Amino acid sequence: MISSLGSSFLIIALFLNIYTIFSMGIFLKYKKYQFKISSINSLYCSTLLIILSSFILIRELIQSNFNIAYISKYSSTNTPLIYKITGFWAGMEGSLLFWLFVLSIYSISVILMYKNKFTKMMPWVIIILMFIQLFFLIICCFFEDPFKPAININNNASGLNPLLQHPLMVIHPPLLYLGYIGFAVPFAFAIGALITQKIDSDWIKATRRWTLFPWGCLSVAIVLGGRWAYLELGWGGYWAWDPVENASFFPWLTGTAYLHSVLIQEKRNMLKGWNIILIMSTFTLTIFGTYLTRSGIISSIHAFAATDLGIWFFGFIIIIVLFNFFMLWKRKNLLVSQNKLDSIFSRESGFLFNNMLFVAICLAVLWGTMYPLISEAFTGIQITLGPSYFNRVIQPFGIILVFLTGVGPLLSWRKTSIKSMKRNFYRPSIFSLICTSVWSISYKVYDIYPVIYTFLVLFVIYIICSEFYKAVITRVKIHKETPIKAFVMLFKINRTRYGGYIVHLGVMIMFVGFIGKAFDKEANISIMPNETIELEDYKIEYQKFWLETPETNPENRSNHFSKIISMKIDKDNSFFTNLFPEKRFYIDQNNQPHSEVALKSTMLEDFYVVLGDVDMKTGLATLIIKINPMVSWVWIGTILLCIGVIICLDPKIRLK
Amino acid sequence: MINKKFLLVILSFVTVSIGWITLDYKAVEVPYVSIQDLQTKQYEQERFRLGGYVEPGSINYSDDKLTVSFNLTQKKSNLPVQHFSAAIPDLFGDSAEVIIEGKYMNGVLIADNLMTKCASRYEEESNTY
Repeated sequence: MISSLGSSFLIIALFLNIYTIFSMGIFLKYKKYQFKISSINSLYCSTLLIILSSFILIRELIQSNFNIAYISKYSSTNTPLIYKITGFWAGMEGSLLFWLFVLSIYSISVILMYKNKFTKMMPWVIIILMFIQLFFLIICCFFEDPFKPAININNNASGLNPLLQHPLMVIHPPLLYLGYIGFAVPFAFAIGALITQKIDSDWIKATRRWTLFPWGCLSVAIVLGGRWAYLELGWGGYWAWDPVENASFFPWLTGTAYLHSVLIQEKRNMLKGWNIILIMSTFTLTIFGTYLTRSGIISSIHAFAATDLGIWFFGFIIIIVLFNFFMLWKRKNLLVSQNKLDSIFSRESGFLFNNMLFVAICLAVLWGTMYPLISEAFTGIQITLGPSYFNRVIQPFGIILVFLTGVGPLLSWRKTSIKSMKRNFYRPSIFSLICTSVWSISYKVYDIYPVIYTFLVLFVIYIICSEFYKAVITRVKIHKETPIKAFVMLFKINRTRYGGYIVHLGVMIMFVGFIGKAFDKEANISIMPNETIELEDYKIEYQKFWLETPETNPENRSNHFSKIISMKIDKDNSFFTNLFPEKRFYIDQNNQPHSEVALKSTMLEDFYVVLGDVDMKTGLATLIIKINPMVSWVWIGTILLCIGVIICLDPKIRLK
Repeated sequence: MINKKFLLVILSFVTVSIGWITLDYKAVEVPYVSIQDLQTKQYEQERFRLGGYVEPGSINYSDDKLTVSFNLTQKKSNLPVQHFSAAIPDLFGDSAEVIIEGKYMNGVLIADNLMTKCASRYEEESNTY
């Protein structure tokens, strides 16, 4: 009963949505103000209905109403409460409703925030957002109805896959969606700016935070997804260049390019057309990413099912792309920039190169991801490009990009003199050269990429720190502040700049982790109880094995039983840690096995153990042991990145 | 003037990038082939990727349990596979749907990568092999 209410709400929302677009169109054509009001009111109502039907789904999930097909697939009575709720976005239908939910929240926030601003542009922004919403409403109402009744009512449904029952899976998907969908807002503004022929800096300033926020969410979501894979999937890595991972990476790359290039538009009023193209691509890529993951056109270990939905998404993408081209063509005379680049050694050209690199990386990854399809079209054989392709192709771009991260702040707008460049580069280069040489010689590291990256990362970190140092010293001298107060004041006075530095610092620290990946070590071993083996500086003793079941340990093992072994690990002949890797079997899922990774993280390296299996008679255990240097730095860098983004999200907007 | 110079820089960047991206593929290419093609055709590439099901009852472990061998089936053809690893994927078993990657030597595929369909697969996949 209540479920049919959910479906009806969605259908009413669909009609209201159409009415919103229609009525706003009438307002624009005949300038009758009441139609605008009516349009916005109906938008409020449709938003309310979408939110209500989302809550109905959540309520039914909590109550385990297995009359709804979706819930019987993704929830069970034994599923813990929090994972019952996350069932909202665990499956296709629910995640599409969730998409709708997030989009409607974004739309309504934009409308409330800019109620009396951008009077010309806003109606168009609303129309664009409502068209996007319309697409998802159609999908939810007619193709993937989350409230569809179950055919066979099964009161003991299998519940959420145990791999997804992880705290990171509570936050990763919503953040990813906040990131993906958020780009719809700057996109709508870009189109609105094109239509109303006001493509100066206003729309850029208005959407600064609306871009930064989704970008931050997307960045964190990508890393959290990696962390989940690292902790749960047990192959000891966090990034595998899987199509689904790449799908989230494309809009991140173009979005990052966009965040940088808008600065040129703000300062020099250049690249207006380019910025619009970038945000168009970013938005299109978010839809494309969804298409990749939802359609299953590329076989991937994550592959979602091949469904008929693909064709609708494909059609939607085609419409967006054609519309983008049409708009650009229609306004082509507006997009010519009045200012010109003065010098190759200027900050704007630095940003321009940064943009070219991000776009190049995006195209390279896109090419690699789509290669199976492209090769199939031309040769008839699906040819995959392995991770080696991505790692090889991206390295040089990455190197120049890291270099530019350091150089950027040292370049001035318009033109930088060779003399000042020499002066500014001298110290960081020497510092970094000495540190890198010492490291490389003492650890006998002569691989080209790790050495170059180490040099550059240290170079950039030095420059960022010296930028802070110089600014603090100046403030201390001029304003007679204490160094700590001066440091805090920097963020108050120029949030974007110093917040941006913190983001860069975070990314550089993440790079320390990426460099460490080159030195990962792995051993596959089989071992008997009381046996000891040595691996690098570690001595590993396999002590004992046992079984825990819901009967022996009802508190922690209510839905699975587990084979556990205990290991004592010494490092350099002194006690390091005890580890208890497990092999679990989830009862509700036909005893689906799952290896619970045992991990000891330090700042220098992670000691990572996966229990393959243990013979409960003899105790013979097979283990994968990985020693992954510097992984912690990836997570620490992400936290710093997060702090930087929060600093940049200036609560006081300054609009003309 | 400077903008012409700039255009030149951009164009050369684009050319070099395209060159770099499309350079020398044989080493990184992994064709997705069927068992029949693998056994009958000659390929330039070294590594292959195959999808299929694990033939029930064909799974065998070495004494130290570090090497697993099994038969991969696609419709009617069979291919012996060997895979060295201490931890095979959790969803591996009789009739499991797998994707394998590795080198083909003397009629056996020496897989260095064995993947089962992952957890974020939300729906039941239709039978495509």
